[in-house]
Amino acid sequence: MTTRFSLRTTAFALSGALALSSCASPVAGGGDTPGTSGATTSVSLGVVPVIDVAPIYLGKEKGFFSKRGIDLRLETGQGGAAILPGVMSSQLTFGFSNMTSLLVARDKGLDVKVVANGTSSTGKSGGDFGAVVVRGDSPVQTAKDLAGRSVAVNTLKNIGDTTVRASVRKAGGDPAAVKFTELAFPDMPAALAKGNVDAAWVVEPFLTMAKNQGARVVAWNFVDTAPKLTVAAYFTSAKVRTEQPDLVRRFTEAAKESATYATAHPDEARQAITGYTKITKEQVAALTLPDWPAEVNRESVAVLADLAPQDGLVSGKPDLTALLP
Amino acid sequence: MILTSPVRGAGTSATTLGALGVAGLAVVLELAPRLGLVSTVYLPPLTAMLGALAAEAASPVFWFSLYETLRGWAIGLLLAVGGGILLGVPIGLLPVVRKATASTIEFLRPIPSVALVPLAVLLFGTDLRSTLLLVVYAAFWQVLVQVIAGVRDVDPVAMDTATVYRLGLCARVRRVVWPSALPYVLTGVRLGASVALVLAVTGELVIGSPGLGRQIALAQSSGAIATLYALVLVTGLVGMLLNLVFRAVERRVLAWHPAVRGDSVR
Repeated sequence: MTTRFSLRTTAFALSGALALSSCASPVAGGGDTPGTSGATTSVSLGVVPVIDVAPIYLGKEKGFFSKRGIDLRLETGQGGAAILPGVMSSQLTFGFSNMTSLLVARDKGLDVKVVANGTSSTGKSGGDFGAVVVRGDSPVQTAKDLAGRSVAVNTLKNIGDTTVRASVRKAGGDPAAVKFTELAFPDMPAALAKGNVDAAWVVEPFLTMAKNQGARVVAWNFVDTAPKLTVAAYFTSAKVRTEQPDLVRRFTEAAKESATYATAHPDEARQAITGYTKITKEQVAALTLPDWPAEVNRESVAVLADLAPQDGLVSGKPDLTALLP
Repeated sequence: MILTSPVRGAGTSATTLGALGVAGLAVVLELAPRLGLVSTVYLPPLTAMLGALAAEAASPVFWFSLYETLRGWAIGLLLAVGGGILLGVPIGLLPVVRKATASTIEFLRPIPSVALVPLAVLLFGTDLRSTLLLVVYAAFWQVLVQVIAGVRDVDPVAMDTATVYRLGLCARVRRVVWPSALPYVLTGVRLGASVALVLAVTGELVIGSPGLGRQIALAQSSGAIATLYALVLVTGLVGMLLNLVFRAVERRVLAWHPAVRGDSVR
């Protein structure tokens, strides 16, 4: 409690100093933004230790955050489900979440706002980081055949089932006839091999693992949903946004620089992944990385926002201007 | 295995049997995947697990995680034992208090600690305190129930004698109640110790607080299955070692007790 209070005080003092110094120096340069005091703000970011967040780890390593006066602490705890409550309760300053979760959060009245783009689909059918796979000997040939079948997703009523339904719809099948089952990504290849589910929506590294075990891709659900779909983003709460607007601005800049750097240096991004996961060098070389554009693809989020009420995930039409930067 | 006493003839055979059990398990773990009984992808042979363990042991992260887990376990167990004894002795001694608390204890005791994860995360986020909440909750009841049973098991004749000799409450607790309850208390501590370890690892696994559990979760989400099992083996090994230590301590502390002296138990 005390630390948090003192952090906030520091942040306040710092943003004041910055407000003064920013008159003189243009912000875009970002070279020595911490200003005269040189003090840093401690920032906690809730992430899941998956390949998606590689740019942040890389950017932290490269000093993109520290040079903006941000001492970034990456909290890999809790798992995805608790990042949102963590941000809302101010235990985390920022969080990483998929777009559908954020749309649902806003629908529930949580004032979340995207501050930086996270992960995007590569947009390549045949080369994305997430797909729907079936056993090699499965009668399912296309997404259309998934109607009436059981498909594993990591979380029900989220981006997995909504995008898989989009694939089925696009292929001319009945999206309402797909039976979704909740399973953790690591358990999916085994469940599929055993025949407990007919198909599974997997993301890397489990997509490559499943394919190595003979699984066959029947749908590229992110690609089918929208071109270059924005899958996940970094977000914060209204509280942080109003109390520390300058911190949010600096975080956004650092995250953008990280994304741009990771895109330009995919080998370094792969290397970074081996640092915070237990994925081996050999494995990481074979994975399909997501895209890390600096900006959110608004049109693609609009598609997700249209799908959300259709699939019964939200009650009303989501307000995108409130969610997106 | 360490527990064998020279007096017991059966001791050596117990050690041998124990070693045979471990060897048998090792053989099964090695052969089942190799013979194709289970897929090597999901259950790698023991040698692959040991290889992954060797790789883990070379990294400081592993040792730090082990330290974090043991620290959470130790602090949690201490709190549970302290609380269990402080509350257990008066509850065991005073029938009124016992009657007033019995149903509450029976209601709270079976609640699985893991069910408190959301509460722990809400209160403490992902740090050590979240794990501690789970550990203390689970281990506390183990200790408390044993302490109460131990205190109630005090010989009434000894208590009457103490009354006749006009011993004060403190003296009575120290000289009559405590020695006779001690075997129960130590059993409670030993049971609590195992439960505390299970919950420490579970807490880390589910909540993501630092420790071996989080490393297990990380291995899981990385598809590093051999490493996953290697870490699981470590937690099993740690549990076994702790149990051995506690049994040894128990025997030493209770050397005077008939149950230990006469070797009628175990």
